[in-house]
Amino acid sequence: MTTLDTPRLNARPVPNPAKSLITKLNMGTGVVVGAIFAAATYWSLYSLLSTYTDKVRDPLTSVNDNKILLATMFMWSIGFLVGIGAFIGPWRWLIGKDLSDEEILYMAGDGQGWKRYFKYCTDHKVVGMQYLVGVMVMLGVGGTMAMMIRTDLAHPGAKFLVQTVYNSLVGLHGITMIIAMIIVATGPFGNFIMPIMIGAYDMAFPRLNALSWWVLFTAIPVLCSSWILGGIPTGWTAYAPLSVQAGPGMNAFIATIIIFSVSTAVAGMNITTTVVAMRTKGMKWNRVPIFVIGSTISVALAIPAFPTFMASQIMAGLDRTFGTGFYETLQGGSGWLYANLFWIMGHPEVYVILLPGVAIIMEIVPVFVRKPLFSYGAAVAGMAGIAGLSVLVWAHHMYVAGWLPSMNGPFMVTTEMISIPTGLLFLVIIGTLWRGKPWMKLPMLSVFALIWNFLIGGITGVYLSDVPADNYLHGSMFVTAHFHYTLMGAALTGAIAGLVYWYPKMTGRMLHERAGYISFWFTQIGFNVLFFGMFIVGAEGQPRRVLDYAALYSHANLISTLGAYSVGIGMIILLWAVIHSWRHGKIAPMNPWGAKTLEWTVPYPVPLTNFDELPVVTSDPYNYGKGVSS
Amino acid sequence: MSDHTQEEQLSPTPGERATHFLTRSDVRRTTLLFVLWTSVFIILGNKFYPHFMPRIMSKEMASSEKIMIWFTYISAPIAGLVLSIATNAFLNMHRGDTPPEDGPAIRNNPVIVGMWTVGSLLFVLVAIVWGLLEVNAQSIDAAANASKAVTIDVTGSQWLWTFYYPAQNITTHVLNVPVDVPVTFDVTSTDVNHSFWPVQLGIKVDANDHIMTVAHTTPTVTGPIDVKCAELCGLNHAYMETTGNVMSPSDWNKWVEAESGKVS
Repeated sequence: MTTLDTPRLNARPVPNPAKSLITKLNMGTGVVVGAIFAAATYWSLYSLLSTYTDKVRDPLTSVNDNKILLATMFMWSIGFLVGIGAFIGPWRWLIGKDLSDEEILYMAGDGQGWKRYFKYCTDHKVVGMQYLVGVMVMLGVGGTMAMMIRTDLAHPGAKFLVQTVYNSLVGLHGITMIIAMIIVATGPFGNFIMPIMIGAYDMAFPRLNALSWWVLFTAIPVLCSSWILGGIPTGWTAYAPLSVQAGPGMNAFIATIIIFSVSTAVAGMNITTTVVAMRTKGMKWNRVPIFVIGSTISVALAIPAFPTFMASQIMAGLDRTFGTGFYETLQGGSGWLYANLFWIMGHPEVYVILLPGVAIIMEIVPVFVRKPLFSYGAAVAGMAGIAGLSVLVWAHHMYVAGWLPSMNGPFMVTTEMISIPTGLLFLVIIGTLWRGKPWMKLPMLSVFALIWNFLIGGITGVYLSDVPADNYLHGSMFVTAHFHYTLMGAALTGAIAGLVYWYPKMTGRMLHERAGYISFWFTQIGFNVLFFGMFIVGAEGQPRRVLDYAALYSHANLISTLGAYSVGIGMIILLWAVIHSWRHGKIAPMNPWGAKTLEWTVPYPVPLTNFDELPVVTSDPYNYGKGVSS
Repeated sequence: MSDHTQEEQLSPTPGERATHFLTRSDVRRTTLLFVLWTSVFIILGNKFYPHFMPRIMSKEMASSEKIMIWFTYISAPIAGLVLSIATNAFLNMHRGDTPPEDGPAIRNNPVIVGMWTVGSLLFVLVAIVWGLLEVNAQSIDAAANASKAVTIDVTGSQWLWTFYYPAQNITTHVLNVPVDVPVTFDVTSTDVNHSFWPVQLGIKVDANDHIMTVAHTTPTVTGPIDVKCAELCGLNHAYMETTGNVMSPSDWNKWVEAESGKVS
């Protein structure tokens, strides 16, 4: 474990930057080396394979093209990491040495100003900001694709997009948003805020922390390359055998998931270890802020889930490059194998996304209602119960797949059971609101939005978990509306609440309040219009992922599109508020909300090692309130 | 005043506590909001699905719609409780640049947590038992009707549905079925995964690559049906749809007679 030792580092002189290779490396060198690795791989494999077959000269259709493209994408990622200096530390270990103290301090970004955001920086606050910007870019790109999809669906007749573009948009919107939503809370706030919340100097593994971000960063151009290579025709689920027969753009999807899974595993281990091992003195488990508990359960859940996703894509890649036939019935494989592997990841992943968002809301409510969090034990039990059950429900996505119909009943039971721990989370939130007088600032407003959205998502989820109802609703727009209510209406609302709440600590400024309110109402009203329209067309029988539809569904689709535009306007206003306030916002006091968690005890800018002396915790952070009542 | 009298004054009876609780203004307002929100969800369940879902043309479709309506009814009091407390808090908001005074320090209430958990469990048990009984009833129906069912081989291929009636030796791209006669669909695909969805019949099953899956239904009403693909299957997925009819016995016989003579 390499962590910064505050007293030791404070005694060290500033290093001479000219002495170490580390000082010369940054994102630019990473891109150059990555491009060289990618080009060298492409041309060497092209030359090698064309020696043995003429197929490689066909326009990107043969298995050899898949081999070349996949290898090129992986080598880009490795080359970038070499170029930015990610392997300098491991290389030193390999030759029996280690980084000097000066180099460790340099890697932590000390005294480098804005340049540290473009380096392999181990400071958790820098990594948190890198994740924040990365998430905003991904949400922007994914949101733009959603606007294009909704524009096409505004009227029947598919006048705006052609099929290939529409199908690719559906898939790329899905996977971009899923990746963004997986990291939307645990990336920025799990890295920037969480170590301070538990009273730690740093993360447990600072170099792995930087690695998790930069590995993820390398996946972004890989995913974007899918457009140049013809897109993906499969939706984000990438079901086989459609993914095996798909064009070269599918390679980008496969490589993205494999790279992203590495990033997630690294981040998950790092956050889990940090929370388990580095809580400050006195921070017993029942005094840990609920956001930290939610994030830890979320990333711990991701640790077993994402390797399965990775395995599913490795096998898809092997089918495409070597014809292994894992998913080809005529070769002895099965598309059901893929569906199982995918959903074994896919349903826990829903809760990987959801839990941190709800945990943020549970963190916010006591602060703004000035009451203790109601039943901390129920909150922990609810999140742990959801995590435990979530690994046993994956096949409810496969009720109509024809795979083992006799298991539909057991999976229906486990899926319905998840309502019980989910209900506990509602109880904690409304129990904290009970007899409270909420301070109606922007983060608090999001609490009410989440309650409504999560409730609608939850109730409609009960229908979908029931086999006879799912026989009708599966694959329809109703499902799309349901999961957007859960992932966007609850998880993203929670994450935006977290952004507004922690913005003063992360930037030193208050978010533009009026713009925030305007954004909130545009987004939330638009969101409900958008997805209520989608519930209607789903109930009427419109399948999801279609670029055209019958006239019967036209009114509700138009309403949905208008709602989507309202969400788009709301998000643009929020983006403006975030960027504008970053430079011109009102200077934030150290603790603008009067909260009692540890991050509000440190100044802005947060010192490199967070605390001069580690704090001692003597109670939980929710000791608000007067007297005891019921 | 004796200690005994003081104790009596400080400790009201459970009945008095309940009376005091129920007459509190916030409790009365929350109760009113509870009735309001619960009614909204009951009306929603009662109107939304019957209004928007397609015509019910089979027992399976009737079952799907009934579940959605009744699950909304059952959810209504839970949604009503959550939203009434949230709405009451919203209406009780504090505005300004300084936080409000601290509220009552209610850290836990094991009785409420226990009641909530038991209530959730009952809700879940109703949903589970209802679902299992329905699944079981459909399985029993399918087994009992196997010998008298009309069998149709359904093949999905990019991007066309083909229906073969083995007993009648008919191949067509339009799905016709007789009313009040059990139908068994043997579904497969020649390429990628599709999902066979005769919408008004309320059933759906994936057409998997060279694997046969089965779905059963008993149409109960005559009329037109739409057949769609509910699984993204590539370029023209949106247009992989056809139509069909649930036919009266006489129409069915006429259609079979006319089609049997054709060379497919």
